[in-house]
Amino acid sequence: MAKPNIRKMQYHSTVSRRDFMKFLGLGSVGMGAAAMGLDLKMPFADLDDMKSSVFSDRKLPFWVREVDEPTVEINWDEMEVFPGAFNTMFNPMIFGMEDAQKVNKIRVDKVRSDITNKTPGFSIQDHALTSASAYGWLDGKFAPPWTGPEHTMNLEGWGHTTCYTTPQELGVPRYEGTPEENSKMIRVADRIMGAADTGFVKLDERTKKLIYGDIIFEDVDEGYEDPERHVKVLPNKDLWVICSVIPQSLTMGQYTDRMSWAGANAYAYSRANVYSSRIKMFLRGLGYQQYGSGTTGIGRAVGFGVMSGLAEYCRASVMVSPQFGTSFRTVLLTVTDLPLAVTKPIDAGITEFCKTCKKCAEECPSGAINMDTEPKWPDWAPGEKPNVSRGIKGWFLDTKKCLTQMFSGEPDCSRCQVVCPFNKYDSAVMHDLVKLSISDAPALNGVIRQLDDTFGYGKQEGTSLWDWDPKDIPLFGLDSSRS
Amino acid sequence: MRYISWNWFWYVLVGFIMGGGAVYLGVILKEKVIKLKWYEWILVVLGFVLFLFAAQTFIASLGEGAAQAAWLGLLFFGLPIVLIVVGVWRLVQVRRSKV
Repeated sequence: MAKPNIRKMQYHSTVSRRDFMKFLGLGSVGMGAAAMGLDLKMPFADLDDMKSSVFSDRKLPFWVREVDEPTVEINWDEMEVFPGAFNTMFNPMIFGMEDAQKVNKIRVDKVRSDITNKTPGFSIQDHALTSASAYGWLDGKFAPPWTGPEHTMNLEGWGHTTCYTTPQELGVPRYEGTPEENSKMIRVADRIMGAADTGFVKLDERTKKLIYGDIIFEDVDEGYEDPERHVKVLPNKDLWVICSVIPQSLTMGQYTDRMSWAGANAYAYSRANVYSSRIKMFLRGLGYQQYGSGTTGIGRAVGFGVMSGLAEYCRASVMVSPQFGTSFRTVLLTVTDLPLAVTKPIDAGITEFCKTCKKCAEECPSGAINMDTEPKWPDWAPGEKPNVSRGIKGWFLDTKKCLTQMFSGEPDCSRCQVVCPFNKYDSAVMHDLVKLSISDAPALNGVIRQLDDTFGYGKQEGTSLWDWDPKDIPLFGLDSSRS
Repeated sequence: MRYISWNWFWYVLVGFIMGGGAVYLGVILKEKVIKLKWYEWILVVLGFVLFLFAAQTFIASLGEGAAQAAWLGLLFFGLPIVLIVVGVWRLVQVRRSKV
């Protein structure tokens, strides 16, 4: 491992940022402009100013624009509140126990048959790796409690007496910063803790509709969980949602046999639960409230992901990020009272591209993805489909078809993810040119879709993961080119 | 191998090829006493830029494990280079024959 450059660090500590900017001559540019009577709106007065700018923190790719309203049309008056995590589209219980049991029997039989017949991509070692990857997710073992995690130091154990203490326990004031500084700090911590990108949404009358229905607001100082009423409670006060992109392995998803696709997304969800515990522990250590409980904790990941500008709504009814495509699971949500600078929705031309592309719908083996060119407003009555978003003009996924496909022998199919043209490594400059075109020249979207096929993207010939040179596999399966 | 961990080597090689190409072009122009018109210079610069794109696309796409994209990218950016070289050479030849 490379040693830190101590001399460089010392050098930087002896030169103030303001002096550095003066050295660069920006001060003289400003003075010259003033002398000429020009009122130049310099974006930043100096580096300190630049550091506190949300826009500099966010570092959006150059082809991505921030917009006031998302690229998917939303009618907030029509927006239905989802009842809870266990009534959302990817939970089999939405079909009822009888149907769920039937589908599950098919699934178990198929897995058994694949292992016995040594079907490529569905071997016993593939199955075991997926189980290992999923650990801590489906079972919830890595997920923190709603108001937790709580932890007290035990001197008889592996003692480190200052770990896990809150400012209150230490008798020191809690951390204080401006919303911009706080946002920057969370971004830094997020990168350390495993989130690739972060956005922030303030809870207001609109965005509260994205919170699950089993979460209620009360006039209390601190939130709590009430198992008797089957509700989780948030305090009626200013609250923000930290929206964090948990990256998924493109290596496993794109270039290997089928089963490891399932492993890729299960592992991302598992890491999301670990991340959830860590971000909550971090906020606790700063002296702030934090609510959430892993991947099922708060509300609609797609809604918050879109509102925080981490991604755009797409044809497959999920999200596409300009940097990560669909290769992330999930946008993990954490509610806090730490004041944060909100981030705006984005427009990178993605939703518009989906109108032309349709690759995910064409490749979907169950026909669950809508093939209509234009998105439509829902044509069903309120309450009729509690697991599908009302209030958006979208392409609505046939969740029963999708889930039946996944649960009857193709574990976590994920084909729509794998074939999405935005799902690529980011080494070749050509990808930037394509994304620039998608953002600024939508007339070329049809050509780009054709070139995506011609260049062989989205249909890589999978090889067995077990034949790979281990050193060719990026650590945790996560490549660094897109982050 | 999907991940070329010594990518730098290929880019240094590309640098040498481009640098060598520029020097060679300079020598040829001097030896044969050829003066390029302004639009021919634009084509030459465009050729160098396209070479850089072609090389980057090829090397990076191979690194991404997308061999088909690598070869097609090479063709996509490389073919115009051939056309530019032939075109500039023909323009120079026609001009010199008139003289």
